[in-house]
Amino acid sequence: MSVEAPIPPAEVDLATVDLSDRDWWVRPPAERHAALDRLRAERPFAFFAEPEIPGIPAGPGYHAVTRYADLEAISSQPAVFCSGRGAVSMQDVPAELHEFYGSLISMDDPRHAKIRRIVSKTFTPRMLERTLDSVRTVVDDVLARARATAEANDGAIDVVADLAAPIPLRVICDMMGVPEADRPGVLANSTIILSGGDPELIENDDPFTAFLTAGMEMAALMERLAGERLADPRDDLTTALVRSEVDGERLSHQEIASFFILLLVAGNETTRNAISQGLLTLSEWPQERARWAADPSLDRTGVEEVVRWVSPVTWMRRTATQDGEIGGHRFTAGEKFLLFYNAANRDPAVFADPQRFDVGRDPNPHVGFGSRGPHFCLGAHLARRELQVTFRAVFEQLPDLEVTGPPRRLASSFVNGLKRLPARLGGTR
Amino acid sequence: MRVTADRELCVGSGACEMLAPDVFEVDDDGTVHVLQDEPDDPDPVRQAAQQCPTRALSVEE
Ligand code: SF4
Repeated sequence: MSVEAPIPPAEVDLATVDLSDRDWWVRPPAERHAALDRLRAERPFAFFAEPEIPGIPAGPGYHAVTRYADLEAISSQPAVFCSGRGAVSMQDVPAELHEFYGSLISMDDPRHAKIRRIVSKTFTPRMLERTLDSVRTVVDDVLARARATAEANDGAIDVVADLAAPIPLRVICDMMGVPEADRPGVLANSTIILSGGDPELIENDDPFTAFLTAGMEMAALMERLAGERLADPRDDLTTALVRSEVDGERLSHQEIASFFILLLVAGNETTRNAISQGLLTLSEWPQERARWAADPSLDRTGVEEVVRWVSPVTWMRRTATQDGEIGGHRFTAGEKFLLFYNAANRDPAVFADPQRFDVGRDPNPHVGFGSRGPHFCLGAHLARRELQVTFRAVFEQLPDLEVTGPPRRLASSFVNGLKRLPARLGGTR
Repeated sequence: MRVTADRELCVGSGACEMLAPDVFEVDDDGTVHVLQDEPDDPDPVRQAAQQCPTRALSVEE
């Protein structure tokens, strides 16, 4: 059953488009992409005002980068377009705050590279080869539980809660050594940290407090685990973090806590949304689903196409450190650029027939994991592995999965998320 | 063909390792190590040099 038309509407009025407005981002993807297409074609560095957050003065605004070539040029010149003034918020939040929540993402080299290297080995293809069996075990178990949930509920499941959320949560918590009992808290807090302030996910409509509380709870968990690992080292990422040194110094508690939060939050939210939105997309493109399900040799290209199509992280920010010119746009030091990965991923200058979801697309140089430059997604190989195992297992073990209702979309410009996706197992009755 | 890596630029993304596992390995220090300076199969190595996100790999033909 098709729940959303995959064909974009022909006309969209750019005067009604405000990329800073979180409510704009719950509109159907086809409508959003129609607007991004026009921005890319007509106003490739369109300027938008920053939204107000209580307590933080709105800054000067930002340019929305929507062409693939411009995005790549900015991303690959980190000295000219830095991350250290904030990469995950439109506003210039106080430095402690953006480092705490952004960690590596909001740092520049050389410190960024030094800290990243502490864990980069863990995420290489070679190392992840060893985790393949455990990823399979997690996926099989989650799918079996989803089947049981459906049987107890007249066939009904929620793709987000029953499939998409538990898989990356368990994988990353296993890697970090987070105990079972703490995992529900990790899921709840990482959801709040990347909620974009969506009122449905925030108690008392006070995003700032909710956000700080979630960060503090994660930091408290880290403190506890860090203490345990120092006394009793194990073969996990948390041990690597607490024992590592950069330039002969241990990382500070705050640096460890923020790195820990980054790994947990990024490891959870992005893969969760790639799974849920990928399954939604496959329900909208039944022929592509049938083609992929029948042919495991498409697992690699199918997953890349899901990441291109969904672009789980919508943007990252860069800030100009000097005056210059890019793609015909003159800029001055301090100017902000938001790199819209979802727009670049449908740029007709790079992708043939970009509005077609094609599980065999090859080559597929998408920027769903980021573009060129030092901030390329640390978890890309892990995410690919989880997604390849998950989609194959769904085809084999849940061939009767059927999306039954419209999704509830996250009201956030930053993460392309789903809060709920109703489905059923057991076919039509 | 000769391949060299600039370990200052490398962030250990592992993209090269995925394309040419016999030639590249990310070490325990989190940066790339070239296992074969003069690789037998040049194609994946060229691809790796092209796809490295930080352009840390250089190839001399
Ligand atoms: S692709 Fe580049 S950055 Fe990644 S590990 Fe290889 S040399 Fe390093």
